[in-house]
Amino acid sequence: MLRALAITIGALVILALAVVAIGVGVRSLMTPVVDGIHHRKGQDFALIERGRYLTAVADCASCHTIPGEGRPFAGGRRIETPFGFVAAANITPDAETGIGTWTDRQFDAAVRQGERRDGKPLYPAMPFPYYSRMSREDVLAIRAYLDTVAPVRNPVTSDLLPFPLSIRAGMLAWDALYFRPGEFRPDDTKSPEWNRGAYLVEGPGHCGACHTPKTWLGGDENAQKLRGSVIQGWFAPNITNDSTRGLGRWSPDDIVEYLRDGHNRLSAATGPMAEEIALSSSHMTDADLYAIAAYLKDQRGGSEATPPARSEDAAMAAGGAIYRDVCSACHTPDGRGVPYLFPALAASPSVRSRDPTTLIRIVLRGARSVATVREPTGPGMPAFGWQLDDSEVAAVLTYIRNSWGVAAAPVTAEEVHTARTRLAARSE
Amino acid sequence: MRLHRRDLLASTAVLFGGITAHASIVSGALPWQPSAGTPPEPARPGPWLFFTNEEAAAIEAIADRIIPPDPQTPGGKDAGCAVFIDRQLAGPYGRQEGLYTAAPFHKGKKEQGPQSDAGPAEQYRKALAALDRYCRANRNNRAFADLSDAEKDDILAGLESSRIALEGTNGKEFFEAILKDVQQGFFADPLYGGNRDMVAWKMIGYPGARYDYRDWVSRHNERFPLPPVSIMGRPGWMPGKA
Repeated sequence: MLRALAITIGALVILALAVVAIGVGVRSLMTPVVDGIHHRKGQDFALIERGRYLTAVADCASCHTIPGEGRPFAGGRRIETPFGFVAAANITPDAETGIGTWTDRQFDAAVRQGERRDGKPLYPAMPFPYYSRMSREDVLAIRAYLDTVAPVRNPVTSDLLPFPLSIRAGMLAWDALYFRPGEFRPDDTKSPEWNRGAYLVEGPGHCGACHTPKTWLGGDENAQKLRGSVIQGWFAPNITNDSTRGLGRWSPDDIVEYLRDGHNRLSAATGPMAEEIALSSSHMTDADLYAIAAYLKDQRGGSEATPPARSEDAAMAAGGAIYRDVCSACHTPDGRGVPYLFPALAASPSVRSRDPTTLIRIVLRGARSVATVREPTGPGMPAFGWQLDDSEVAAVLTYIRNSWGVAAAPVTAEEVHTARTRLAARSE
Repeated sequence: MRLHRRDLLASTAVLFGGITAHASIVSGALPWQPSAGTPPEPARPGPWLFFTNEEAAAIEAIADRIIPPDPQTPGGKDAGCAVFIDRQLAGPYGRQEGLYTAAPFHKGKKEQGPQSDAGPAEQYRKALAALDRYCRANRNNRAFADLSDAEKDDILAGLESSRIALEGTNGKEFFEAILKDVQQGFFADPLYGGNRDMVAWKMIGYPGARYDYRDWVSRHNERFPLPPVSIMGRPGWMPGKA
């Protein structure tokens, strides 16, 4: 981990020096932002309401509000990145510590170009590469809504990254490599619903921020779009239409229910996705959610190599015994679970994802599903880390990944051991 | 003083009117923490934690008379009953943690529980010492563990019927305590040191810490095929040992 970070930092320095000129050039070539001072629309309710909706769609609160503090958008939440922590800014209209004195142009430049008011680049922990797809009108609607929230005086020190990542100019090189600015352009060969979905997924919804695999510098592997990635100690699963590891066996209704209610007949949301649902997609209209489903169902899953189904070996036999004794009471012996209550492991893309990070975490520490208006129970799974040792966790996960007619790579006791050690340092 | 109906109603109204009811709406989800709960701590194998070697020998001898070994099932000693009692007496149970143990002490009824500041650990220690004195005084200076089975049974029966009195302690109460504790050690989860390899559960056909028998609700007069499972698992859980 340390070695990887050292390599990352070293390479980033070289890139920063070598490409900074190009980076500056790219910045100057970016879509020009229409100049203009910030006009307070004041009582334009329709605009403010649209902005409120888009603020939920863009999930601004996820980073800019510390949960449970009662100070919406006051910033200060520490956002974990593979390179260190970044603190989210105060985006309340406070004149001194928020964005109260920013012009619309400055706000738009921050959201869509990743440029701070002082001209320095933002770290892409702020998902401006996605927000860049949004229309200026939508961005300014968000601005209009943020103008209406209570101003909070809360100075935030956002520079928490270690040297040399602390040199923001280095991000110009990153931008040159990974930032492709520009508004979303509809595809005329697709339906309006598909295009709306594409706009939401690629723009404000910024699904790829978690679900698209990252390069070693944290940029999107665009060839692998939405095919799953490790983030903050979880694996955000493949959400393409892949029939084994993605949403191929989910109907559009399944996707809509999951995003709106956190639960469907097959699955339940936990971890960062539970937070996303609570703050963002549960507030979206059904029409927008069906649009997202239409777009996701049209994403090719690629051809992930599926390992051959495992024969009856020692891990499968032990895993089967553990599953029968411990797991089957809720998830049922045939892996079909109980709709809207206990996930169907036999039909879960997460269970068969190429990376077992989420599975190991849930077995070791338990999990809590999200409680929403339509599914208010929020059932949880207890922790089994005290009861199952590393080889037993590995065996039962290998079993559920290779039962009920599908196959995935086995989980090793070493992987479980590493995860157990790392999880010990995480609060939640 | 005469109480008028009107006064009563009025004062009642004042009384209840003065209490403001506070209702609150719980919304969202209940609090949740990862790795929550207080899992049981498995008894570790190793030396005695409470008993001396001599005390342990006496307990093991008693356990083997209460549950004698037979060709199918080990007795109380080999099942680990003494280990179970040892770990219990060394832990919170032996120290009477959570119980009110201050004076005054009155002789109570049986249903009122122990009325003494001496917890189970102290009472075991006193009783075992008294038993040892009794055996050495009356059985040719031998310890309880060195007696023949018939002699052991005679003494245990004597304690149970109060025919034999122990010096400075109540022999009948001691017998009742150890009878109960040996049974608990024999049938409790192996996690706690007794019921080694789930021998007691295998003997009576108890399938252990399982919690789903929906498949079996309607299958009468059929033997449940799965082996017993302890809280900490069973041999079949270990890859390569199924």
